[in-house]
Formats: sequence, C-alpha cells, structure tokens
Amino acid sequence: MKLAVVVQRYGQAINGGAELHARYIAEHLAKHAQVEVLTTCATDYVTWRNELEAGVEPVNGVPVRRFRVKRERDPRLFGRRSDRVFEHRHSLGDELDWLDAEGPTSTALVDYISKHAGDYDFCLFFSYRYYHAYYGARAAAARAILVPTAERDAAIGLSIFPPLFRCVRALMYNSPEERAMIHAVSGNQNVPGVVVGIGSDVPQNPQPGRFRQKYSIRGPFAVYVGRIDQNKGCKELFEFFQGYLRDPSGKLTLVLIGNELLPIPEHPRIRHLGFVDDTDKFDAMAAAEVLIMPSYFESLSMVALEAWALGKPVLANGKCDVLKGQCIRSNAGLYYENYSEFSETLGAIEQNRWLSGALGRNGRQFFREQYDWPVIERKYLDMFERLKKEAPTKVLDPLPGWFDRRRQDLPAAEEVLAQLPTGPATPKAADAAPSAPSTGSGQGRRRA
Amino acid sequence: MPDFNVRSDSVNVEQIMEQIRARIREKRGVDYTEQQIRDLAAVKLEKFLDPKGVRSDLLEQFRKVQPAYEPPELPNYEFEESTLYETHRGPLRFIRKLLNPLLKLLFNPNKLIQALHIQSKLNTMFAEREARREAARRATDQLTYELIHNLVVETTRLGIEVKNLKMRVESVGSRLEFNERRARALESVVVYKSGEGDVVAPAPSRPPAPPPAVAPRPQQSQSLAHPSQTSQPSQTSQPSPSGVGGGSPSPEGPGQRSRRRRRRRGRRGGGPAAGIMGGQGAAPQGGAPESSGPGGQHAADEGHDAADESQPVTRPADADAGQGPAKTDPDTQ
Repeated sequence: MKLAVVVQRYGQAINGGAELHARYIAEHLAKHAQVEVLTTCATDYVTWRNELEAGVEPVNGVPVRRFRVKRERDPRLFGRRSDRVFEHRHSLGDELDWLDAEGPTSTALVDYISKHAGDYDFCLFFSYRYYHAYYGARAAAARAILVPTAERDAAIGLSIFPPLFRCVRALMYNSPEERAMIHAVSGNQNVPGVVVGIGSDVPQNPQPGRFRQKYSIRGPFAVYVGRIDQNKGCKELFEFFQGYLRDPSGKLTLVLIGNELLPIPEHPRIRHLGFVDDTDKFDAMAAAEVLIMPSYFESLSMVALEAWALGKPVLANGKCDVLKGQCIRSNAGLYYENYSEFSETLGAIEQNRWLSGALGRNGRQFFREQYDWPVIERKYLDMFERLKKEAPTKVLDPLPGWFDRRRQDLPAAEEVLAQLPTGPATPKAADAAPSAPSTGSGQGRRRA
Repeated sequence: MPDFNVRSDSVNVEQIMEQIRARIREKRGVDYTEQQIRDLAAVKLEKFLDPKGVRSDLLEQFRKVQPAYEPPELPNYEFEESTLYETHRGPLRFIRKLLNPLLKLLFNPNKLIQALHIQSKLNTMFAEREARREAARRATDQLTYELIHNLVVETTRLGIEVKNLKMRVESVGSRLEFNERRARALESVVVYKSGEGDVVAPAPSRPPAPPPAVAPRPQQSQSLAHPSQTSQPSQTSQPSPSGVGGGSPSPEGPGQRSRRRRRRRGRRGGGPAAGIMGGQGAAPQGGAPESSGPGGQHAADEGHDAADESQPVTRPADADAGQGPAKTDPDTQ
C-alpha cells in the first residue's frame, strides 16, 4: 500500500498542531505502508516563505517531497478578505480569493497531485482550511482522506468547504465534537468517518527533579504548554491566575512553556521558561500538579493528552467544546467558564490529593485506551481496508461558473458558525464513536 | 479546603463540577451566569444612557422658565425662471419678452437663473436644518442638565448613606470592642477552689470591695461555717458560696502565697492524672477518708488553706478590663 500525506509544512523543527499530527501519522503509518509526504518549502505559517529546498529529502526515514509556494501571504490582504467573508455577505468568488490569500498557494503541489494521484492508494490531506487541502482533495477526490483538524472558528462557516467534506472518501476526525460540527455544517453523514485523534511519544521515565533543579522551581506549580497568545486564551488565564494569587490559601506557581506573543504579568509566582525541548517539557509536566489548557478553540489538545499519559490532571477552558468533552469523557480533568470556577477547580485539584490522583489515573487509562499508538494505527488501517472494499461513488461538484461565483448571496461565515450546535458530546455518544468507523448523524449531542 | 463527597475511584467529573458550582452558588448567594451579569449591568447603564428614564419634573419646570426655541427669520428670496424678467409694467414686460432671444444671443441667462434658484433652495434647506439642530441641541442640553441634576441628587443621597453606614460601623466596632474587653475580663477572673486541684471558675458576679483589713476573718469563718457548700462538686462550675454571698477576695498574708505555690507544686508532681482527677472529686469532701489521690491528700491535710483558696482571686488582668467590676452572666455559671 502506498500512501501520500499532504500537509502545508513538514519537518522536525515544525511544531504546529496539524503539522506535528501529520508527521506522527506519517512516521507511524510508515511501519505498515509505503508513505511519502507531499508538502511545501515553507516553514513559517504566517508568510509561507520558501525556506527549504524543493525536491525530495528523507525526514526520520520518511521521504518528503517539497514544492515551492508561488507567492507569500500578504497579511493585510488576507486580513481584508477575512473580514469580508467572515463578517459580511459575500460571493463564492470572495471565498476563493480568501483561500488564495491564505495560502500556501503552491500550484506545483496541486499539479503534482492531480498528475500522480494514481500512484498512491490513498492521499491523506491535513487541515481542510488551506489551499493545498482544498485543491489537492478536489484533484484526487477518489483517493482523498481528509484529516480536517477543524476548530470552532469562522472558517468552518465558509460555503466552499461543505462540498469538500462531502466529496472525499473518508474523514479522520480528532474528536466527536469536531465530527458533529462537520456533520452539521456539511451534512456529510454518509461519508465514512472515524474519531481517531493522535498519539504521543511520551517518555516512560520523565524526571521531575531534573526539571526543578534545572529551572530552580520549588513548590507546587501548574504548567501551561503552548504558544503564549491571546488566541490561546492566555490573556484570560493571566487574569484568572492573578485573581487566584490574591487568595492566600493557593500555593501554586504558574509555569509557562512556549514562545511569548503576549505580555506576561510580572509576578514571582508566574514563571516563563520560553521554548524548551521535549525532554524538559515532559519533565515539567511530570513535575506539575496540573496542566492548564485555557484555549477557546482546539480540535484536539495534544498537550492535554500528553499530560494524561503522564497521569496528570488537566484544567481546561470549558468554553472549548472539545476540551470540555474530553474532560467529561475521560473523567480526567475539570473545566472552568469563569473566574469563580477557575479558582474553585484549581483549588480543588491543588488541595485534594485524592481527587488529583484519581483524575490522573483516569487520564492515563483514557490515553492508553483511546490514544495509544497501536490503537491509532489500527483505526487508520481499518479505514484503509474498508475503503479498499468500497468503490468510490461520489461525484465531485464542479466549481460554479464566472457569474455564479460573483453572486453576493452567501451569508457571513460567522452567522453560519453561530447556528451550529454547541456543547460537548455526551459520554454515551463518545463511547460509540471511537470504536468503529461511523456514519452517525451526530446525535447524542446536547447544547451546553 | 475543598472537600468532595465523592469517595471512590470512579470519579465523575460532571458530578464534581456540579458540587463545585453548588459551592460557588453558596458562596455568592445567587448563581448569576455571565449573560445575566451582563444584562444586569446593561440595565443599570441604560438608565443613565437614557436620561428620560430618570426624569423628574425638573425638566418641566426648566422648560416653563425658558421660552421655547423659535428659529430666527433669515433673509431669503425666491428665484424662478421668470424672476429676471418680472416687472409691474406691462409694456416693459412685453419688450423684455420680445428681446429675450436677442439677450440669449449675447449670453446664457439660464445658467444664472439655475444657479440662483439652487442657491435659494439651499438657503431654505440650511435654515431649516439649522433650526432643527438648534432645537435638538437645546433639548439635549435640557436633558443633560436634568441628568446631571439627578446625578448630583443621587450622589448626595449616597454620600449621606455612606456617612450613616460609617457611623453604624463605628457604633458596631465600639460595641464589639466593649464585648471583647468584657469577654477578656470574664476569662481572666480565676478562682482556685480548695481541694479541687487546678479547676478554674469564673469570677463572682458582684465582687464587692470591703475593707481589706477586716475581710479575711469573716470569709474564713463563713467557709468553715458552711462546709457542705464548699464541698459540693458543682462548685467547679459555680462561684464559691462566699462569692455568691458577697464575700470579697481575701488579701493574702505574707507567707500564704509561697505556701500555696509549694502545695501546687506538690500536687503537680505528686501522682498520675487519674489520681489528681480522683483527688478533685474527693477533695471537696473536706478531707473525707475516701480521698485517695495526692491532691486529695493535700487538700485534706491543708484544709485550713483550702478555705482560703476557695475564695475568688482576682488576677491583675482583671484591671485591664477597664470597665469596672465584671458582671458574670448567670447563663455562663
């Protein structure tokens, strides 16, 4: 079996969520099939500047074929077009212009896929919202398997994407919430789909003491791992944690790991360590009392899974359906939606050893059952087997003509998003979801 | 410290979250959602953003005093097609009309007519708009005036209320201080009872102040005269009969204090706690044969001193109370 993994960026030094996801999947599926990665020469997701050489090079034993990006992203143009399609009534042409502005506009990659799709049994496209996935999946629809990594943001409300969700052979979802959202927006219940997610190579023996010694950290602490950004909910986290610091009963320090895109409050109990390597990251998580995930938008939090794999509880932002759903399904984390809840839940985990230990144990078990690599690999292989038996029947809808593309009859994407169902998937629905490829209609969801 | 009722390995996160939310509700009384809080804030804001919502009759009074706004009569003119050729003389009008083509040959009067016509209309329009604006401005001024007036009234009211609350806080604070001092005074009044070991009893309700020179004798005779009263076990929690009877604290003789210290030392080091406890029970019997503990033994041996010890002793801390003689609450005895 020969597989193509198509992703916007690829490399060992690239740590974006979907890109890392793609790399892990490619490396693990390489044990079972011949895998080739098709990607761009870009390493920066803001500009898509060509920084790597075009051509083929192996990365961790997997051949990677890189294609040049035709033009870099113009952030101002992209911003204007985003405003246009997200907030105003617009046309299909506006949406395609938006996709073009977002990039990475690599026509060479799309051309290669359209010419050589027949060389592969299946093409795994990562991140539905980018140029390569949209045009690539259309070019190889009969072999396309989409890993959408969709978050609850306005892009899901654009009308160019529902046909994409309907035309691919299968979808590999990250969470039941993501699946229900895509079902609701595109009505693709008849497309085979399975909630898979991703595993993580968590070290067996992390060294909490080594981390404490290296960074001179004493006493209990909560850890945040990720980009320190307003979009990741860090601003709210800082506000809430500063409130928590005023409570004399709380003893936790907040340790931040990741690049800083937001001013960090000056406080002796808020420590920023910057970007650290994986060893230090896992040591820090093993030393922490709790991992805090303040993000509003996640399709799957790998950091939360890693914390659970290490037997640590997670405190997540309850406004993020996926995180809340994961906490409920795993019984391994608490969640908050306002300061009172943040303070109480953090205090509960900090001061109640029994609770903290039980959540951690549940997390470890949840990870083993749902996100361990053999489980993930098996789900992919089962899907390939299933698709091999089924002939592709879907017909790709052609893009509308020149006049139809310019008809201003599409609602603002944010209006569409607002109409989508919200709330985490119930545990019952989740139990059924990961076990087998599903064509369910997203029932069992409830509004928060 | 957060405490959870869930006590098993099967944690239910939703259940825990329910408990946490219930505790938050208990803490702040009512569980307002973020939306409800926003709504409440919006209601308050609306009141002040819309001055009509806080209207009093002041505006009516204000309007009565001020005359209504009348827009000024600005000069203007009418300019139509025939205005240039108008005249009250009929023949002249005829000649002008006759020569109009010649005039048009020399220059284009229509442009002039058109421009002046437009100017006339603009003048009218601007005058109307200015009148409307001025009226709106005056209305806004009136509303602003009323709003500010109401704000001043409300601020004054709040100021008075704050002052009242401050006075109440001061009053409550002084009462609290008084109660604290009273409690300290009560706690500090200690009575050592004869034969009862280290049992401490509160002060008598009315410590009188008889002349110290004559006090010891009547007290001693009183306690000896009523041995049954001094030997009752309930005395551990009640003032001594002599105290109740109005006896005063006996001034100590020169060697009494040191003797008592020696006795106490002897009691402390003399036997196990059970023995002391037994002694406490036995000692009030006034040296009865059943007393077996060392404390009881001491009490029996030194019955004459026990009579002295049964009298209330006011500690120096009592003087700190500063409220005069502490009155003992009968309920606490």
